[in-house]
Amino acid sequence: MPIAAPPPPVRDPVFKVDHLSLAFPGERGRPPVQVLRDVSVEVDRGSSLTLLGPSGSGKSTLLRCLNRLEEPPPGTVFFNGRDITTLDPLDLRRRVAMVQQTPIVFEGTVRDNLGVQPHPERLDLSEARLVRALEAVGMEAHFLDREAATLSGGEKQRVVIARALIGGPEALLLDEPTSALDPPNAALVVETVVGLRESLGLTVVAVTHQAELLRRLGGCFLYLVGGAVQAYECIDGHSDAITDARLQAFLRGESPAAVAAR
Amino acid sequence: MTGGVIDLDLRQVGLAILLIAVVIAVSVRQRLGLERDLAVGTLRAILQLYLVGFVLTWVFARAYWWWVLLILAVMAGIATRAAVARLKKPPPGAHAVAALALSLSTAGILVYVIGVVVQVRPWWTPQYLIPIGGMILGNAMTSASLAGDRLQADLRNRAAEVEARLALGFSGREAVQPMVRAALGAAMLPTVNGMMTVGVVQLPGMMTGQVLAGASPLVAVEYQLVVVVMLAAATAIASLLFVRMATARYLTPAHQFRRHLV
Repeated sequence: MPIAAPPPPVRDPVFKVDHLSLAFPGERGRPPVQVLRDVSVEVDRGSSLTLLGPSGSGKSTLLRCLNRLEEPPPGTVFFNGRDITTLDPLDLRRRVAMVQQTPIVFEGTVRDNLGVQPHPERLDLSEARLVRALEAVGMEAHFLDREAATLSGGEKQRVVIARALIGGPEALLLDEPTSALDPPNAALVVETVVGLRESLGLTVVAVTHQAELLRRLGGCFLYLVGGAVQAYECIDGHSDAITDARLQAFLRGESPAAVAAR
Repeated sequence: MTGGVIDLDLRQVGLAILLIAVVIAVSVRQRLGLERDLAVGTLRAILQLYLVGFVLTWVFARAYWWWVLLILAVMAGIATRAAVARLKKPPPGAHAVAALALSLSTAGILVYVIGVVVQVRPWWTPQYLIPIGGMILGNAMTSASLAGDRLQADLRNRAAEVEARLALGFSGREAVQPMVRAALGAAMLPTVNGMMTVGVVQLPGMMTGQVLAGASPLVAVEYQLVVVVMLAAATAIASLLFVRMATARYLTPAHQFRRHLV
């Protein structure tokens, strides 16, 4: 009796990028700029993907295609198996939260900021929920009544993360979330993101060069140069296990030209 | 003498223009370097005003409604070009946006003022329609370009804030609402300030004209009141229309912000 082959592992990608190419219109009659060239990648539920590459390599644009802040061509980006250009963009963005490089806080207190939501009436914004939201990013309840403008950069960024997570998204996109912060504040944000990913089982896609965040996130790494995928590797554990020579060289801080030569 | 006004002959006008010599003398002594512009400006003022004088004399003598409307249309066209020329970075399709905002606001207010308030019969009497239409257009033009400039500057400086709101799941219109509000405020402020001091600091041009023409100051005041509220309405409606239509150019149907346009 033949032995049945083990079933292939069940793949459940939250995001699937399928041969995505994107060009921006050139300014004042100049030719269009090719930002992404034939990029394909999948991100499994609860896992993480880190986008790496020199500046201008299309990392942020790829990230912005995932919540449709940029418009990918139909049939190239899928969320939970559905072409995102067929989804309601507002609904998509409530399920796929994003944190940007510069923490944007609005006028008012931290409490006011947590309440800046498109449909506050549909959310639980009770005192207990707000306190829990702050605790989840490592901040104490007394911060609720602080003017958001008076917070430090790291505190602002953690409030932004708390605000993004209050609606209960499935995935979190991070666009260089620590690069505008000093090292101690960056470390706090790294701690917050890694902790949240584990406690909430969030799917995380991040653009970052921050070594500590890379190391702690682990998961998969996609290395882009000039909008094209140069290297892709998934690891168990942390980034010290990376074997790809180009990824290793990039993470060591070698110049893009030196990396390409490998 | 015609009516209550002392008729001026060419010699008297020449004497008035001599005043420009004083200005030129100041410019030369203080090395302002404005002599050439002053001379050109004076020449242009002479030519443009005489040209308008001849055209109006001609139209007043014919008094056909289509001539009056044609003149208003030409004025609206010139105002559109001037409004767009004053914008530092016009949005795409700025001419169409400005033309619509200026002509719709002017037409609406003209119909109300001429037909309902003053009740001019026949409605196209050029002595009323052309100067009143010109005043409305002038204010609409200034407020539309003030609003447009402020909108573009705010969208550029606060682009991250717009995208932060979009990423939270707000609609495009909600995301730019703070910038729309600032632009409308900037456009309306000069008019509101003007209403505070009207008549106290200076007699407005129209009132001066009517008093010179022998009208009773009370009649002149009543007309001036109509003019003040009419111009306030023109400012509000033109800037609102312009900002609403211009805002739509900066957004896509999928609630994306076209950052490269600001």
